[in-house]
Amino acid sequence: MNEPVPLELIHAEIDGELEAHQRAELARALLTDPDARALREGLRRVCTALDGLEAVEPPPQLHSSILAALPASVRPALAQRAAWWSAPAGGWRYAALVAGLLVTGALLYRVGMGRGPDANELAGTMSGSGARTPVVVDSVTVDFGQVNGQVSLQRSAAGLALDLQLNASAPVEVLVAGDGQSLRVRGPRTSVALPGFGAGAQTLDLTFVMAGREIGSARLKIPAER
Amino acid sequence: MGPTNLLQSARYFVEEEDDGSLVRRCRDGDLKAFDRLVIRYQKPVYNAALRMLRNPEDARDVAQTVFLKVFEHLEQYDPNLKFYSWIYRIALNESVNALGRLRPHEAISGNEIDQTPGLERQLDSEQTRHAIEQALMRIQPEQRSVVVLRHFLHLSYEEMGAILELPEKTVKSRLYTARQLLRDLLLQDGVC
Repeated sequence: MNEPVPLELIHAEIDGELEAHQRAELARALLTDPDARALREGLRRVCTALDGLEAVEPPPQLHSSILAALPASVRPALAQRAAWWSAPAGGWRYAALVAGLLVTGALLYRVGMGRGPDANELAGTMSGSGARTPVVVDSVTVDFGQVNGQVSLQRSAAGLALDLQLNASAPVEVLVAGDGQSLRVRGPRTSVALPGFGAGAQTLDLTFVMAGREIGSARLKIPAER
Repeated sequence: MGPTNLLQSARYFVEEEDDGSLVRRCRDGDLKAFDRLVIRYQKPVYNAALRMLRNPEDARDVAQTVFLKVFEHLEQYDPNLKFYSWIYRIALNESVNALGRLRPHEAISGNEIDQTPGLERQLDSEQTRHAIEQALMRIQPEQRSVVVLRHFLHLSYEEMGAILELPEKTVKSRLYTARQLLRDLLLQDGVC
């Protein structure tokens, strides 16, 4: 009479939970029982196939539809943030994000290397003369303990720019979001152009992040252009 | 680095705050924290529902319902339970509820068996995927639940037990049975 197929051992082996003495016991059973071998092979194939089913990305609109389904009283507070996170892949929001990062990178590179034209001249956003002279349209003083200082929103003929003048003991980043556009700015002290911002947004939401953790937030108003 | 990677990087960058902290902030009325939880869990919740229901539209509806329930019942969440255990439990329950609401022909979509004789099939990975997805829909929802938790959400038996509110031994037994049923179904179809 054949021994029963050691099902528990086969499953434990598949789960990687077999102990040494059980391994020996299973090996003996497999050696003498072709049914056990066939079952083991079949189960292994099933589990390999299951593990091979890849996770799919949720529909791009899922995030926004969840937020839209929240009670009306809480929705407005999330609206701008939803636009930032739920941007569909390949959409114009990504393009704005990449463009913003490229500009940031260029500015930081030029400033860091200490050569070439002044960073302010790079994107035509900052200092200069005449009509190009930036005007501070809003500013906010922040104090989050590890980070304090001032953030200014400036406007010149070239458009809007953000000026960070922060004091921080470690690198700080600011996530800028407004009207579906988004940009990540590395501080503590830098000036970056905000291409594409200001066309529809009335405010900019700033989220300050240090060492991967949000440490505070602020908001700047974008006054209508005269 | 492409734009998608950039965004993923940005998401990772701000998503390190642990679930417990986000839940506490949510309870204090911080909606940004809820937003973070949605971002963090929308993919596993959607995928769990998709594996339970197979239909992407139904899965999307269930995922949306799950997050609304989380939002509405956050005050009832027991912090002794891991947040992911709680949300996955809701996801599985909502999926099972959705299965009950589906019309019969929708609920048995897994029975659309390919009748091509097994020996004549040139099985490739795509066909295997299709076959295993079909077989999944032909086992009982409670069996499918343990498969989803183990093979798609990669949870331990202890975590599965916490979610299903079952002893580990029962969870194991249920999963073993589910695997063997899947194997039998695939054998019938000449896949395994």
